[in-house]
Amino acid sequence: MSDMPDFSNVQSGSSSTADKIYEVKSGDSLSKIAKHEYGDANKWQQIFEANQDILKDPNKIFPGQKLKIPPLA
Amino acid sequence: MTQRTHHLALMVAAAIALAACGKKEAPPPPAPAPAPVVAPAAPPAPAGVTLTSVTLGKAVGADKKVSAATETFAKGDTIHASIDTTGAGSATVVAKWTYSKDGKTAPVKEESATITPTGPATTEFHISKPDGWPTGDYQVEILVNGSSAATKSFKVQ
Repeated sequence: MSDMPDFSNVQSGSSSTADKIYEVKSGDSLSKIAKHEYGDANKWQQIFEANQDILKDPNKIFPGQKLKIPPLA
Repeated sequence: MTQRTHHLALMVAAAIALAACGKKEAPPPPAPAPAPVVAPAAPPAPAGVTLTSVTLGKAVGADKKVSAATETFAKGDTIHASIDTTGAGSATVVAKWTYSKDGKTAPVKEESATITPTGPATTEFHISKPDGWPTGDYQVEILVNGSSAATKSFKVQ
């Protein structure tokens, strides 16, 4: 496939009018997730507020946790 | 009246009575009540999330729908696929973007989103390439919970 173009630098994303579920990976932070999901790291508080039932401290999230990602208000 | 005559009269009366009884047919036994018709249980409504449409475009609004549908893009465009779904529950929606040339296909990108809609919802996937898209034929396949639900072809010119 050497004659095929290189797509390794393609960037992608998604958003929804429904809540999304994001599974925390090693090295994630709420601001990193907000950047990935909303394109804006400063929106981390929206994720924190939507997950107050499982998050007590925005600095403590763990791999495998499933966070609700609400649509941007 | 002699005793013989009396007997004869009794026999005639008995015969008439018997004949009368014979005329009356015994009423038919009541028809057995029809067995209650048990309607088959309605099949449960399809659970979960199902895809209703896929639309491609260069931009989406706050409602995640493309503002102007197109299947032809320029090299510098961000390409959006807006997916409408119905149903409630949790679903994993995957967009598989591929490029085709001379009968060969190359993967471009795969993006997955787990959504938990409570009714009709719109989910958008987008891809961009900082150095521009190679011209040619592309396709996006949408899978819902692992099953292919739709494909859309588009061109970059």
